[in-house]
Amino acid sequence: MEMKLRYFGQLQEATGKKEEVLTDSFESLGNLRNFLLKQYPKLNHVHFKMAQNNKIDIDSSPLSGNLIDLLPPFSGG
Amino acid sequence: MIMETRYQRHIQLSEIGPNGQEKIKKAKILVIGAGGLGCPALQYLTAAGVGTLGIMDPDHISISNLQRQILFNENDLGKNKVLRAKKYLKTLNPDVKVLTFPFALTHENAEQYISVFDIIIDGTDNFYTRYLISDLCVLLNKVMIYGALYKFEGQVSVFNYNNGPSYRCLFPYPPQVGEIPNCSEVGILGVVPGIIGVYQATEAIKVILGLGEVLSGKLLCVNLLSHQNTLLDFEKNQKEIDQIKKQGKAIPIENQDCFIDFEVSLSQLSSEDKIKWIDVREEDELPSLSHLNPLSSSVSLDLLLDNKQKIIAFCKTGKRSRAYVKKMKNKGIGNCFSLKEGAAQLNEWVEKIVNYNDT
Repeated sequence: MEMKLRYFGQLQEATGKKEEVLTDSFESLGNLRNFLLKQYPKLNHVHFKMAQNNKIDIDSSPLSGNLIDLLPPFSGG
Repeated sequence: MIMETRYQRHIQLSEIGPNGQEKIKKAKILVIGAGGLGCPALQYLTAAGVGTLGIMDPDHISISNLQRQILFNENDLGKNKVLRAKKYLKTLNPDVKVLTFPFALTHENAEQYISVFDIIIDGTDNFYTRYLISDLCVLLNKVMIYGALYKFEGQVSVFNYNNGPSYRCLFPYPPQVGEIPNCSEVGILGVVPGIIGVYQATEAIKVILGLGEVLSGKLLCVNLLSHQNTLLDFEKNQKEIDQIKKQGKAIPIENQDCFIDFEVSLSQLSSEDKIKWIDVREEDELPSLSHLNPLSSSVSLDLLLDNKQKIIAFCKTGKRSRAYVKKMKNKGIGNCFSLKEGAAQLNEWVEKIVNYNDT
């Protein structure tokens, strides 16, 4: 299954990408997270949330979406 | 009659009408942070005729604020943000009651100020205050309107609306020190807080009027470069909310990274100030600034403790000096600040003062 990953905020700097398409399959969002942390070690320094198909979800959820958004909290006022 | 004319374009809307305008007049909104988000939100809420507006911010206006904090102008440099904001807002709409709180929100004073308002607009630039606002809004059952920024992007959401989720439901883990840079460390396109702040004002008015779809349980992510606006759903995390309620008070987060009072801006200093400078740069960095006789960062603690002058550390950008001052504060040096600007600006400032004193 193809899925599109979109990186928000400073995750773009941590990965060097705005978005990418993955064809690997993962059982859960947590599995995908672990894969990405290995792929992009800089992600280890930032807490980030993941959303699938426009819904923020927890790591233990099965990965079923084909649009995955990764978002850190923003500061700034 | 005058009221009807001023708000005619509101009243003409069947969704607002005279009753809606009356609701706006009765609303009480506290804007925490009169910066990039707070300024545009305050302007539109004042223009809209919100009856009572509170403004809280401990800061003074510096030249680097003017790129995005559009209430202020060059004549305001060094002046108190909250008091200047009130002055301009009263000219825009004298009917609005503006309450000024020229100090920071703290764990001690938060309940006292948040409790008297209906809606709290979060225009802060640090996580310490943001989690404090969030916890108090949960405890006091207040609607919190969140806005935050990163470079060309923004996030908006509405928390605690009709029993909806809170900020901790979205981001339960406060970032560690240094994990997420704050506004003074990262560049930001000036219009981004403008757009996000106006979104916050829009949500506030929708909440007052019970109009349309409020961004409750939804995070709006705006990217001004790609025009990719993403609306993400998220759920309430009852465990997070119960934890705060059980505690009965806000839970302070460890990250005080960008917590106020550490920094001072050149615009807040005058030529009469007695200042002991500390240069935390490497020895070979330029401009030299040796004419200020700065101490080096290896100066002994005893010497700093005995010092009666205001101690201000500087570096090239204000980043290293902040880390240094934070360390000193932890070691009990209270009278120690970090210069927001860098050595080059300090050099210009000193030259200006010398010229001024010579003429």
